[in-house]
Amino acid sequence: MTRAEGDKDEFNRFVTGLGRGVAGALFLALPMLMTMEMWYLGFYMARERLFLLLLLNIPLLILLAHRIGFEKTFSWREATRDAAIAYGIGILTSLVVLTALGLLRGGMPASELVGKVALQSVPASIGAMLGRSQLGHSEDDADTRETSYPGELLLMAAGALFLSLNIAPTDEMMVLAYKMTIWHALVVSLLSIALMHGFVYAVSFIGGHELSPQTPWWHAFVRFTLPGYVVALAISVLALWIFERLDDSSPVEIMLSVIVLGFPAALGAAAARLIL
Amino acid sequence: MTRSEQGRHRESHDPHWIEWLTGLVSALLIAGMLGWIGWEAFTREATPPDLSIVVLATEKTGAGYRVTFDIANSATTTAAAVTVLGRLTEGEKIVEENHVIFDYVAAESKSTGALLFANDPAGRRVEIRAAGYTDP
Repeated sequence: MTRAEGDKDEFNRFVTGLGRGVAGALFLALPMLMTMEMWYLGFYMARERLFLLLLLNIPLLILLAHRIGFEKTFSWREATRDAAIAYGIGILTSLVVLTALGLLRGGMPASELVGKVALQSVPASIGAMLGRSQLGHSEDDADTRETSYPGELLLMAAGALFLSLNIAPTDEMMVLAYKMTIWHALVVSLLSIALMHGFVYAVSFIGGHELSPQTPWWHAFVRFTLPGYVVALAISVLALWIFERLDDSSPVEIMLSVIVLGFPAALGAAAARLIL
Repeated sequence: MTRSEQGRHRESHDPHWIEWLTGLVSALLIAGMLGWIGWEAFTREATPPDLSIVVLATEKTGAGYRVTFDIANSATTTAAAVTVLGRLTEGEKIVEENHVIFDYVAAESKSTGALLFANDPAGRRVEIRAAGYTDP
């Protein structure tokens, strides 16, 4: 193969990666792009919290890029490049879809326009990043790799954040917390832990985790599932705080909403361990 | 540490002590949370919404006057669609009457809102009270 052909091949692969990114952004962020509360949050949420969310998204994308990426990334420099591309795709996709749906209009103040696009760009960029691993056929599945313990927890945080972003802004979240009694919360909490452990270890999905035959089951439960649930709850607190759902509420009410949101967050964390 | 091979992941058999420490701390946190919730479940009685209002300030705005207030719910159930009535009276005569609806006032929590009047509340009596709610 000549060098020019090799470059062309490389270019084609890159463009395919971009296409998958856009597809991923659309698939995974469309529910949020079409959620009313997300449009409103775009203009009324506190700017410092939006800023924090946008900043947090950067290390998250770099971590995901290092793990899956548009290309097989070897260095952190390439991971950073891929993260920037994913963020870019997220912003452009949000801009195009919000405009197409008539949610961005000429007469709106700049802060509203920017806020709406910026908020949506976070889930869209995660979607763009996941696009490759979800939609592309991975050629390098057979290789052996090791995930460090903090890396495993961070992956769970990424999964929990993605599902929390879907659900935390909706009013249904708060209505559920108001309707539930404390007994319901206890059940939801235990259910979250059980499902989290079951999905990863008991049910034999491709990508599921297994233990060495001589390791008792509770080893993984203590080392991975319980910390994973704490991570999911912490992400729930963060998501609720960012979307201003905690202000002026009593500790018990806060705990109820955290447990309600912790349910999808825990499943997201478990899914991240299976998929990524 | 987790080893991934052919799409399957296998947890290592001899983990670093930090994994056990994290697991232990997490177990304590979760036990603490469940313990607290369980304790609340046994001790907390469900009381119907109990709403009270405190007027915070009266300010002049471009087109009239704004009376800001806090609405607190001291009970253990949440009230939905809480209607707050504001009335400006001078002696026996009602000068102006307005209302505002809060989507929710959460249990043991408070919310803030404002009523807007065209007439100056100064020198008149401002009466703000919760007029009703629905169960969420």
